[in-house]
Amino acid sequence: MAHVWAEATLWIGLALIAVLLSIWLKIATALSEIVVGTVAQLVIGALVGRGFLGTTEGWITFLAGTGSIVLTFLAGAELDPVVFKAKWKQATLMGLVGFFAPFLGCTAVAYYALHWAPAPSWLAGVALSTTSVAVVYAVMLELGLNQTEFGKIILAGCFVNDLATVIALGLIFAPFTLKTAAFIGTSVPVFLFLPWLTPRFFKWFGGRPSELEAKYLLFLMFGLGALAAWADSEAVLPAYLIGMVLAGTVGKDHALVRRLRTLTFGLLTPFYFIRAGSFVSVPALVSAPLVFVALLLAKMASKFAGVYPVTKYQRYVPKEGMYTTLMMSTGLTFGTISSLFGLSHHIIDQAQYSFLVATVVGSAVVPTMIANAYFLPHYLLPKPEQAPKVEVVQAVSVGPGKGGSL
Amino acid sequence: MIPRKILVGYDGSSHSQKAFRHALELAKANQSGLLVLSVAVPAEPAVDVEMEDMLEEAEEHFREDFKQLEASAKEKGVDLETQILVGHPAEQIIRHAKEWGADLIVVGHRGKGRIAEWLLGSVSKRVTSYAPCSVTVVR
Repeated sequence: MAHVWAEATLWIGLALIAVLLSIWLKIATALSEIVVGTVAQLVIGALVGRGFLGTTEGWITFLAGTGSIVLTFLAGAELDPVVFKAKWKQATLMGLVGFFAPFLGCTAVAYYALHWAPAPSWLAGVALSTTSVAVVYAVMLELGLNQTEFGKIILAGCFVNDLATVIALGLIFAPFTLKTAAFIGTSVPVFLFLPWLTPRFFKWFGGRPSELEAKYLLFLMFGLGALAAWADSEAVLPAYLIGMVLAGTVGKDHALVRRLRTLTFGLLTPFYFIRAGSFVSVPALVSAPLVFVALLLAKMASKFAGVYPVTKYQRYVPKEGMYTTLMMSTGLTFGTISSLFGLSHHIIDQAQYSFLVATVVGSAVVPTMIANAYFLPHYLLPKPEQAPKVEVVQAVSVGPGKGGSL
Repeated sequence: MIPRKILVGYDGSSHSQKAFRHALELAKANQSGLLVLSVAVPAEPAVDVEMEDMLEEAEEHFREDFKQLEASAKEKGVDLETQILVGHPAEQIIRHAKEWGADLIVVGHRGKGRIAEWLLGSVSKRVTSYAPCSVTVVR
């Protein structure tokens, strides 16, 4: 048991370093954890051997897998069901365009330009088809568009985009057998029944210190996840759907969501993202950097081809349209989940995994940098020549002792 | 010109607290309206769930700070409004100053974090370059 505690100390230590880096550099913790995982494996591998980090040990795999499942559930639970019900046609169109353009585009580039085999090419398409609801939401808030009709459609469309990604991931690589039929046949009635049962169950038995709600949700996610894995599908598929169908009930229980986030970010996702980063082979990336460039360009260009015309059609101001399109090209969570699924199911090899994760990270960072540098809607600001009068003062006249309570 | 509407950029740093105190004195002396604006800056790139969590925590943090600012304003007999926006601080301050019709923007000389300033640029410099009204930078 001593080595388990030692390994746990090492992993949580890495997670701590990742958090400090993210605070220091003002970057997302997930991104920081992936980078720390990659560097840690490289350094530890060179110093004491690749097995020292224990990335394939059962308990680490379990915590990492649970992290991806609960994170996916929480992502699904952020859906606004009222908006989705009102705008589902437009959102579905937007989401499907946002999914199919990069899915087909990146698959084609992987197959025809990089000469990957069909299965890895399809997986590349899935991994790079994602978008980030969070990034788009942040942009909407920044531009004050989150309350506009088009803003709501885009946000709902992002959920459809990611749903299409997890469905593709869950079904494309699973041979359609009786197991698949059993998985679908069991899951669909459960998804239909849950929105009715869950609020009643919580009302009868919930609200106690024993955290019944968290156990109930984990029970569902593990149960349907096990069924999905048994059918050669992916456990995040039912987790995302459970999140979406419970968005109107559990998603509105703020205290419960906060407790689940504490569990997720405090313990689970560090294992998931650091582990995902640790499988990245830096030598593979260095030996063929153009593969990364080709995949990144494919993702951004195909997303652009799909999404930008829709923003034009909706009469978006060009810079806002470009800004939104660039922001929709990101997708860290589902991109890494898809890539790790491919690696663990031997659909892709470690080099291909490394290129995909690097592209997923690149697609999260590069469009953000371009958008901030060139397409942040500076038109909102007056020209510098209208610069106002500036006064610099030493404000020491009022201190806490003189009535200020700061 | 007597400022009738004063907007303060507030990030919780000691510099922004100085800026608030300066603005409060001005508002008291001139019977001006005072708006404290805080901007939550999402980590980049924004990641699902994590960003939502960060925004909620930022809002809670600023709301807690606002209670103290409101108490100070009440003591001075100044009407205080508070608002939390999301995005790049300078852009949001300028944009909101324009929409609100501020006569004066008051900001601290330096905000939180040298690294963040290096990455995002100085908020006070950006505000002084692009503001639609007079700007006071408090040292």
